[in-house]
Amino acid sequence: MSADEFDPYVERLFARTPHMADATLFAADLEAKLASGSRVRTLALTVAGLVGGAFAVRETLHLNVNLTAGDAPVAGQALGRGLGQVGASAQGAAQSALDQLGLANLSLGSMGGMQLFWLAAGAMIALAAAGVMKLSQEG
Amino acid sequence: MTKSLVDLHDVELAALAAAGGRREFGELVRRHGSAVRALLRRMGAQGAEADDVAQDAFLRAFEKCAEFRGEGTFAAWVKRIAARLYLKRKSKDARYVAEIGTEEIAPAVDTPGLVDLDEALKSLNETERLCVSLCHGAGLSHPEIAAAMNLPLGTVKSHVKRGLDKLRARLQPETGKTGPAQYGRSTHVG
Repeated sequence: MSADEFDPYVERLFARTPHMADATLFAADLEAKLASGSRVRTLALTVAGLVGGAFAVRETLHLNVNLTAGDAPVAGQALGRGLGQVGASAQGAAQSALDQLGLANLSLGSMGGMQLFWLAAGAMIALAAAGVMKLSQEG
Repeated sequence: MTKSLVDLHDVELAALAAAGGRREFGELVRRHGSAVRALLRRMGAQGAEADDVAQDAFLRAFEKCAEFRGEGTFAAWVKRIAARLYLKRKSKDARYVAEIGTEEIAPAVDTPGLVDLDEALKSLNETERLCVSLCHGAGLSHPEIAAAMNLPLGTVKSHVKRGLDKLRARLQPETGKTGPAQYGRSTHVG
């Protein structure tokens, strides 16, 4: 057999797939790994989204909504005071959570408005991406 | 009416897998897992190592599934990924460098016509075996093999030629008895 004939012959031999008794097990193992990796990725993105969302909420509550001006209606004054109180308590809760996580030095109050805005925006994007990924995997 | 997974073509399954479809990718693994594992064993990987590399190759293929456009077969695409992963793993092993071109396996005596490819490959040294498997099993060109193995092109061509000469001496296609081996159920002869 010449080299010209032998080369394709060898390629045909390589193309033949031998029977493997554990082929189904191999595929099942791989699918389990894929599922596990997907869960970890979804969890990481969800946590990132929640953290970012918390920052976003805190930033929203921290806005200087000046509804207590003299020309505002009474209901507006009440709403302004309520928002202010919720904002203060949310900031305190977030700061204590950071303390528990060993991030006591990270003072939320010391962060600039723009920093917090971009943090929150990034987190919201991550949250949206996680949602889209989850939907695409379930679809 | 939607088609079941077994009715879908590889390209369709790959497109669905690229969108995150794990079940669809699982079907591709069921179809081509054995071929990829067999190639790695023919390249010289031992059973567990071959399966590890094959799994890594499929996981990587899942991540890069969007890059598969169906120009070649899906199996060939994953085989190339697996072959490169195996080479990368081997290149980290210092012994690989030391063994290149030094290992010669004494030819075994076989009954003519009863030797299959897997047995015949054992008569090649490690580098010849890798070069022949990469060229004829994974479909890499000689320059691609040279780059992947960090060997001169002429050396790769020599290894492929010597390997094929040895295979030709061992395989007896005229008898038509050469067939696929069954892993786990040894068909050793001689």
